[in-house]
Amino acid sequence: MKIVRKFRRKPIIPINSMSDIAFLLLIFIMLISLINYRREVKINYAEAEFQEVTQSENNLEIWINAPGHLFVKGAEVSLNALEQIIATSVVENPDVRIHILADRDTPYKHVNSVMEILKLLQHRIISLVVKETGSS
Amino acid sequence: MTVKRKSKKHLDIANSGALSDLAFLLIIFFIVVAVFNINKGFILLLPKKDSVKIINVNDIIKVTLKDDGTLLYENKTILLSELERIVKDTLSLYPNMTLLLSIYPEVPYQQVVHIVDLVRKLNVENFSFAMAGEKT
Repeated sequence: MKIVRKFRRKPIIPINSMSDIAFLLLIFIMLISLINYRREVKINYAEAEFQEVTQSENNLEIWINAPGHLFVKGAEVSLNALEQIIATSVVENPDVRIHILADRDTPYKHVNSVMEILKLLQHRIISLVVKETGSS
Repeated sequence: MTVKRKSKKHLDIANSGALSDLAFLLIIFFIVVAVFNINKGFILLLPKKDSVKIINVNDIIKVTLKDDGTLLYENKTILLSELERIVKDTLSLYPNMTLLLSIYPEVPYQQVVHIVDLVRKLNVENFSFAMAGEKT
């Protein structure tokens, strides 16, 4: 008896639509990044020569503009509200790094008021965010 | 006459270069986003509320930063470069030197950053700052 040899079909991965998938992936990741993107407040950064990376895994940014208004995640907050926000953040994550991003012309008393809250809450490590001298 | 049938060339997306272009764009996007989100500056350790530290009188340099940005040392107005020299000289004599900075409330934040920058540059380990009128 003649045995007919079965020809095995070569497995093919359909890659015709791969570029579509990659493109959709690109759009998806870009949108997710934009959602997580930090809301910046328009300030003129203070400048310094010597600086280090102060970014941590968990961060809370407190923005202070030139007139001394406080902002967290793009929304203006009062000192009392800020105290609540910091307390909540610290309770949720004790390792949260608190960054102060103040305008170069902000009177120091406004920065000091934030530091006083941090001292009151016994949160001792803070980051003063600055830009490198000459970079704008 | 035999008509030769043209065999349609299979379009290989993977080798067409479109995927590599997308991957490249994705990498560029992430690099740019990552660079934008990194905070740089100074990490400071705030003192405990009402904490007291005993320091040798010889180890102390008291400097006042006035509202107009002038620096006062031993009731004399000095420049930042002069403060740098004073700190350097004192550090060589008293390695445990402590720089106490008293800051007036209306001092622009940039002026404070200049001093912190100097402290970092000269590796001053003991640096204390407070708003004028408060305990340092």
